[in-house]
Amino acid sequence: MSVYISSTGHFLPGPAISNDEMESILGLVHGKPSRLRRRILQSNGIQQRHYAIDAEHRTLFSNSGMAAKAVENCLADSFIGKSQLTMLSAATSQGDLVLPGFGSMVQAELQLADVELHTSHGICSSSMMALKAAYTGILAGEHSTAMVVASELTSRLFKARRYEVAGAELDFNAEFLRWMLSDGAGALLLESSPRAGSFRIDWIRGFSHADAYPVCMSVGQAPNENRSWQDYPSYAEAEAAGALLLRQDVRVLDAIVQLGVDGYLRLIAEGLIQPERVDHVLCHYSSHYFKSKIFDMMQQAGVGLAEEKWYSNLYHRGNTGCASIFIMLDEFRRTQSYQPGDTILCMVPESGRFNTVYMQLTVMD
Amino acid sequence: MSEAIKSEVAQQGLQALMRVWFDFERQLGRIPLLQRLQRGQFSLDDYQKLLLHWRQQVIEGSRWISRCASSFDREYSDVRSAIIGHARDEHRDYEMLEQDFVAAGGQLAAIHAATRAANIGSEALHGFIMYRASQPNPVDLVGAMWIIEGLGQKMASSWAGQIEQATGCDSNCTRFMRYHGSQDEHHMQELYQLLDRVCSTPEQLAAIVRTAKVVARLYCLQLEEVEHGQ
Repeated sequence: MSVYISSTGHFLPGPAISNDEMESILGLVHGKPSRLRRRILQSNGIQQRHYAIDAEHRTLFSNSGMAAKAVENCLADSFIGKSQLTMLSAATSQGDLVLPGFGSMVQAELQLADVELHTSHGICSSSMMALKAAYTGILAGEHSTAMVVASELTSRLFKARRYEVAGAELDFNAEFLRWMLSDGAGALLLESSPRAGSFRIDWIRGFSHADAYPVCMSVGQAPNENRSWQDYPSYAEAEAAGALLLRQDVRVLDAIVQLGVDGYLRLIAEGLIQPERVDHVLCHYSSHYFKSKIFDMMQQAGVGLAEEKWYSNLYHRGNTGCASIFIMLDEFRRTQSYQPGDTILCMVPESGRFNTVYMQLTVMD
Repeated sequence: MSEAIKSEVAQQGLQALMRVWFDFERQLGRIPLLQRLQRGQFSLDDYQKLLLHWRQQVIEGSRWISRCASSFDREYSDVRSAIIGHARDEHRDYEMLEQDFVAAGGQLAAIHAATRAANIGSEALHGFIMYRASQPNPVDLVGAMWIIEGLGQKMASSWAGQIEQATGCDSNCTRFMRYHGSQDEHHMQELYQLLDRVCSTPEQLAAIVRTAKVVARLYCLQLEEVEHGQ
């Protein structure tokens, strides 16, 4: 039994937003332009992205709405009607509601009947966890079709007012991701039998290192505070303390490079990855800065993957968190050239508390 | 970075050592003392204790490097020269560490009075490395150098700054860590050359990796024992 990705889809809200337009949408914090924006953008290399909010901070597309649009885009390119789906597996960092699970909201939005549901919670790697749940569901023989969708609406966290209510000073760690993340959704259709040009999933493997590394990317805790946002007497106090800002602890972020390479080396040792047989590399790196570091460390280990094999649409579609790898795979499938038998290696190193997930695909006839 | 690595076996050795290092960093990340340092909950007292325990290993370090050099025969005279140079560079490093201890508010007499036996991890680490260094042509000690030099870089690039931030002491207190790290950049290059020279058979590769793993584990034991020892 094998599992195949037979269709892919995406949804990116509104027009592409250039680097110079970002701040007019997210807003000036305390009326002042950011002093860090240029530096962070230079390092991450992103030139365009999409936002589901407008300059008045109205939400034009909900997170579950974007997910539904990506699923519809995926189905429109498939041989399957939505009534044939028996499993929906969904991922996001933050749904429109805290509860219920994101998958329920996406299912309702899509009007899918009677599906088995899975929601995975996390950051960038949650899409891969959702994919693995659907993949194993098919491998176990319980389903023959499953839809996997990942969607992010992080711009709501970056509205100027969010920072203003959290105090006069904007710290670097809280601003870092403001110039990094944006909105969008991606979807993959899984089937138990191959179709022309589908991608066979050879394996999916993850390694999580939360036992050995501190939290690196989070929402819910103020700096130098052990309390959760839910431990404050009121949510307003949690917000005022800065506990609801999305933060990246940049001091520990560099560990993502070695952990990303570590998993790669483990999978080589296990015989799952044969570097010389990899034809395409799709790696979700958050910024260009990390791509070159991962690339160099692989070279150092003597198992580098040639530059021309790397594909990414980060620079023009933005870093859409967990949706990125699906949006990347979708654009790769639609626009790049590949041959039957080609091997595609996908990598998603997540910095939340360091979870790295890998997948190998083979292009079918 | 690794242009010095030319042979296929040495390249495999480097890859294996990188994996040992990644695992070592995860082991370090599980040590309560270092977790507190990461969170900024690390006092001057913790730092003094760390230096106090560390001193013995730094003193013994120059001894095992010298012993290691003397165990290489004529066939490895080039290796012996490189290691002698290394021993000369580091054999009085512990004096800088003692000065840091005093700058951090410790008493010189207290650190002079500390013995290796205070830390069972140091005792085990010393015992293992001295035993290996006493074998003929102990090429596997490249694995020990890999861990110890790598740690020097980590001290300089992250620990020194974190200690200053958490304890409020200035860079006068962290000169050993910073100096050691800046030196080790150069030492790492030498290490790559050494690896290329001595890792030339699968047996040597296996021995180097095994020694690196044992040293990594015992180093962690030593750091864990900082909070347990007297």
